[in-house]
Amino acid sequence: MFKFKFKKKKPHGFSQAELGILVFGNTSEVIGAQKALETNGWKIRVMGPPPEIQSGCDLVIEFPLIQELDIIRLLEKLGIPPIEMVPVTGPLLQPVDLFHIKDFGEFLMIRAANMKITVEKSTRLIVNVSGGGCPDVPYLACMMVGKTMAQAPNPLDIGHTLCGYALGLAFKEMEKRCSQW
Amino acid sequence: MSITIDARGYSCPQPVLMFMKAIKSGSENEVIVMVDTDASKENVSRAAESKNYSVTDIQQQGDEYRMTLIKD
Repeated sequence: MFKFKFKKKKPHGFSQAELGILVFGNTSEVIGAQKALETNGWKIRVMGPPPEIQSGCDLVIEFPLIQELDIIRLLEKLGIPPIEMVPVTGPLLQPVDLFHIKDFGEFLMIRAANMKITVEKSTRLIVNVSGGGCPDVPYLACMMVGKTMAQAPNPLDIGHTLCGYALGLAFKEMEKRCSQW
Repeated sequence: MSITIDARGYSCPQPVLMFMKAIKSGSENEVIVMVDTDASKENVSRAAESKNYSVTDIQQQGDEYRMTLIKD
């Protein structure tokens, strides 16, 4: 009797062996690279760096290795080349999930890097935005707290700092979760 | 009715969630919230205002705050 064992595929359809990570010197470069790569239609993910990577900033980009040359060429052309490109060859080289999710029963909190967003599950009302330390965090919180996920502005549109960017990632993940309820 | 919430020692978002749960019945006209960080003070104030409560008084004792929130 044959037993077929299927390799677990990543969400964007590539197995671990087919993926690599791009390491950048600072988070601004990650933001620029993410925007450029997504605009060009590449399926990438912003993740936390794997334990074995000691260089670079707190974010990495996971990408399909098969597209390595085209991606590097584009990033070099834009002046934001990665400082390192590493194939995901083992568990210690696997990027870690950027999101920390905590269920408080009636409320759900998602943290991305240093920013947290908390939503009341039954109403999807944003009850808290906190974290960071960037000057636009109080502004972002004022614009979002007390509004539903549908009414609130996307922090990626109104934020101007790395905290705004991290909150935007948490907001995007929360939107995804909300659509599953 | 008045209620006192001691959220000292809790990190965000828990003080906010404690406040949200406390006002759920809608019968609390006055809520006293005790917190021990600036961030908690700001976050509870913001949540209170979004729920039509006004921050009428904040007393600081060392690192701790005693906030009085009155329903509008």
